Amino acid sequence: MEDYILAAEELRKEALARLENVTDEKGLEEFYVAYLAKKGSIPGLMIHMKDVADKAAFGAAVNKARTEVTASYEEKKAALAEKALNAKLLSERIDITLPATPTKTGHVNPYRLIIDEVTDIFLQMGYEVCEGRDVETDKFNFELLNVPKDHPSRDMQDTFYFGDDYLLRTQTSAAQAHKMSEMAEKKPIRMIAPGKAYRRDDDDMTHSHQFAQIEGLVVDKGISIANLKATLELFAKKMFGQKREIRLRSSYFPFTEPSVEVDVSCFNCGGKGCAMCKGTGWIEILGAGMVNPRVLEACGYDPEVYSGFAFGVGVERVAMLRYGIDDIRRFYQNDFRFLKDYPVK
Amino acid sequence: MNVSYNWLKKHVDLEGLTPEIVADKLTFSGAEVEGITRLGSGTNLVIGKIVSCVNHPDSDHLHVLNVDEGPFGVTQIVCGAPNAREGLKVIVARPGAKLPEVEIKPSVIRGVESNGMCCSLLELGVDGKFLSDYQKAGIEELPDDAPVGESDVLGYLGLDDAVLEISVLPNRPDLYALNNVAREVGCILSRKVTLDKIDDYPLAPSKFEVGSSAQGCPLFSGRVIKGVTTKESPKWLKQVLLASGIRSINNVVDIGNFVMLLTGQPLNMYDADKLPAPSLIVRDDLEGEFLAMDGNKYSLVKGDLVVTSGGKPMCLAGIMTAEECKVDENTKNIVVEAAYFAPASIRHTSNRIGLSSDSSLRFCKGINPHQAEYVQRVTTALLKTLCDAGEVEESVLYDTMSHEAKKVETDLSYINGRLGTSFTLAEVVDTLIRDYFAVETKGEKLFITVPEYRIDVDGKADISEEVIRILGYENVPSVLPYAELSLTGLTPKQQEERNLRRHLCHLGLDEVVTYTLVSKEEAKRFAYIEKGEPYVLTNPMTVDREVVRTHLAHSLLSVAAYNANRQNKSGAFFEVSDVDTRQRGSRHLGIVLYGDKPAELGVKARPYDFFDMKGILLSLFEALGIGEMRYRLLPWSLGGTELHPYQSAEIRIGKDLLGYFGVLHPSCSKKYDVRSCVYLELDLDALLSIKVSPIKASVPPRFPSVTRDLALLVPTKVTYEELRRELLRSDALIVAADAFDLYKGEGVEPGYVSIAVSLTLLSKEKTLSDAEVNLAVKKAVDNVMIRLGAKMRQ
Repeated sequence: MEDYILAAEELRKEALARLENVTDEKGLEEFYVAYLAKKGSIPGLMIHMKDVADKAAFGAAVNKARTEVTASYEEKKAALAEKALNAKLLSERIDITLPATPTKTGHVNPYRLIIDEVTDIFLQMGYEVCEGRDVETDKFNFELLNVPKDHPSRDMQDTFYFGDDYLLRTQTSAAQAHKMSEMAEKKPIRMIAPGKAYRRDDDDMTHSHQFAQIEGLVVDKGISIANLKATLELFAKKMFGQKREIRLRSSYFPFTEPSVEVDVSCFNCGGKGCAMCKGTGWIEILGAGMVNPRVLEACGYDPEVYSGFAFGVGVERVAMLRYGIDDIRRFYQNDFRFLKDYPVK
Repeated sequence: MNVSYNWLKKHVDLEGLTPEIVADKLTFSGAEVEGITRLGSGTNLVIGKIVSCVNHPDSDHLHVLNVDEGPFGVTQIVCGAPNAREGLKVIVARPGAKLPEVEIKPSVIRGVESNGMCCSLLELGVDGKFLSDYQKAGIEELPDDAPVGESDVLGYLGLDDAVLEISVLPNRPDLYALNNVAREVGCILSRKVTLDKIDDYPLAPSKFEVGSSAQGCPLFSGRVIKGVTTKESPKWLKQVLLASGIRSINNVVDIGNFVMLLTGQPLNMYDADKLPAPSLIVRDDLEGEFLAMDGNKYSLVKGDLVVTSGGKPMCLAGIMTAEECKVDENTKNIVVEAAYFAPASIRHTSNRIGLSSDSSLRFCKGINPHQAEYVQRVTTALLKTLCDAGEVEESVLYDTMSHEAKKVETDLSYINGRLGTSFTLAEVVDTLIRDYFAVETKGEKLFITVPEYRIDVDGKADISEEVIRILGYENVPSVLPYAELSLTGLTPKQQEERNLRRHLCHLGLDEVVTYTLVSKEEAKRFAYIEKGEPYVLTNPMTVDREVVRTHLAHSLLSVAAYNANRQNKSGAFFEVSDVDTRQRGSRHLGIVLYGDKPAELGVKARPYDFFDMKGILLSLFEALGIGEMRYRLLPWSLGGTELHPYQSAEIRIGKDLLGYFGVLHPSCSKKYDVRSCVYLELDLDALLSIKVSPIKASVPPRFPSVTRDLALLVPTKVTYEELRRELLRSDALIVAADAFDLYKGEGVEPGYVSIAVSLTLLSKEKTLSDAEVNLAVKKAVDNVMIRLGAKMRQ
């Protein structure tokens, strides 16, 4: 009588042992048919129920055999499926170093990248953007900016003229004069003016008859050099890195008084001195100053009430320093092999 | 301005400083020192005397010398200089000497021992422009009295000098005078300044006459000095000139240059005996020819300032003396001129005839007009001591200028307010006094008198600059400006433009930047959008850049040509830029596609065509929210040979031409040597001004749509757009009609094109039945058959 219970136990062990040796789906299927299917040997044990006295014990033994073998079978099945999948995936392996399928994204002339970046910095500081035009009048390019009639920079040598009154602006500062004179109510101003400027220079590696500048102007009551210094420090850190410092050197521009040249600590060597900064640790990046009271007055602002600062950044110069561009003419040649390094932001 | 450090040292106490320290200070206070040049350099040098000179046994040009080097004994040196000879005193570089180009070591030259080198000045680093051909060809010949054994050779030769190359800013022409450089250096370094004391001599009355009828000459001083002797200048004077970059000529000429370097006042000297009359009168109304002392003839035009005597031109003012009255070795009596000539006049004449000099440069920048008499005194003293001058007459002066000192009134709070600093009154006053300003105070008010040579200073803002440039910008704190909050940022139009540029980049186009100026011919072409008159330069540099562009086409097609020529076989790029005509300025967008559209995601590369550009345009309209009812694309009617007449379109808003696009005309394609090129240009201002309807939400359909495909034969004169419109208006259930295949040729009767169209039908109320769909489709087919002459394809 116990023989049947023993037989159930033996069958369970045998099934599990055999399952161990199953290595593929075909073997697993045969195993299923042999042991677990309706006509398999484990369900087949039940025909002995009628011959068994301790039906409960026999039932439990059969049940144990079925549950355990089924569980192991399922486990094996899953393992085999995974193995098969892995084999399939392996057969699909690709060489990830093959060339990409092209999905072209355009590139941007680095000149525009710098203009957009500088513009964004000042937009974040609450400035507005006033652009002005390339063709200017003598009044806005020179007269209002305290460049008197016999000033050397007005010589035919430097400026492109259309007759006597019209010219190609030699500096984006002309946009300052426009903004100030065109303010109906003489209110505070915070503006930048990115744009093109022109001078009669022969084109070579460092000179271009056309170039871009970004002019900045702040006019308010109580504006001082200290305000200019803090603003340009913020700009330099944002543009060239948080560790950058600036220093001011005395200089001269007719439209500012005092005037300064602004150097930023070298972003290549960190100020230790290298080829880029010619060993000085500093790189000249822009000219600035306090708006000359004569300019304020000429543009309708009372210099006893208002003061202001202005600055001008050379766009190509900044781009050349930042990206290591060797020749200013590259900006205007637009060779695609040059542009490809500057992805759209 | 090249400043000799040794000369400067005579006037400013520079004890314990180096040229580098002085240069650095000057640079920060506004006189940028662009470089420091050592006149000569070399270590281990000694003055020697050649005691014997024989030919090298194994060479046809080398000599074997024995050189007496005083305390260093007699040394054997092999020397190749042709002028080496017994008895000559020479510069010897001893073994171990470091010269700019070489280091000297004991050696054996063709079997003969050599322990040093006899040098030329070139080998000590002296600029060849200061040396004669003879000096350059051999070793330097020292005078007979040169001290043998002297090892401070550079000092003996005056070559132990450093030259500071100061870039003088336009507002500081006073720094073209050593006197003022000395004051500036003394001021910024707080060092004592000692200017030369001038000896005075008894003056005889003068009958000489000076005057001016020209506005450009408000001041003219002349002084007659008799009995001068022309000879070589003394060593100290030659050295000062050498360091300043001026070649020594003779003592009289050199004194003129020296006084100019010292005071900033250019002098002119005339041979008094050669003047047609005892007078010098400045005029600006002469015309004709002028024979200058350089042997060249120059034409005079009205407006040129000319110094005349007896009605004849004696000098092109500030630029060059006439041949007939120049000072030469036979000159005995001279007239010394110290005048003020207006910068604009001198610049104008100098530019016109292409002549400039140290004198004309100073007049162009503006000179101190208040020191004519001082300059005459300095000159006289030098002529007396160096040229044995005899009788000196008093100066005669024509002067219509005011010499009243400039006064500026300001107060401490203005200065500190402008600088953002908190300097004390004492600091400010002390600084200004150091800077040679005279200052009186009353409370915090400052009453300032400006030194006569500071022609740039005339307002209180200038005073604030003086204070900070001397005290240093490192003393300015950093304080961000305070402002009320308000709405700022890009204007909607600026924002749209930026979005549009990004959009095009993300479509795969590169953004380029090109030059504004083009040639006259190019400005006339592509005259579709802008029809105004172009701006033509009065003073172009080249014919290729003479006119402000009125369109972007030429510039952009040139970029295509440039790239196509450099193995960039295809390209897609755009530019946003202003264009201008005399009538209006506007902003344009130009786009170029050329070559092959690159392969992507399962699509092979193929030449760009009209529809690629159309796709870009429509994507722009969509991005801007401009619906298809707002614009019209019409077949090309504008003529010209720039665009293909049958593969181009006009973009119109109402009747106005917004822009155009199309395949290049073969002649244009040939001109730029690009293939498969499509060009688009439009008026961006106008595009961004198109009113956009506010967005109204649409409800996604509740019921399924049904599609039916039709194969139609349509007469070729009917456009696809006409067909589409007819199909759409046939029945309200038809909501879309999209062509998916086009075929012309075999199997299609001539005059017809086969178009396969997919119709989409949709009802808002219900799911459509077959019968309803069939009815609507039949109506559509009937409609295009009747109205357009289309047929169903069998």
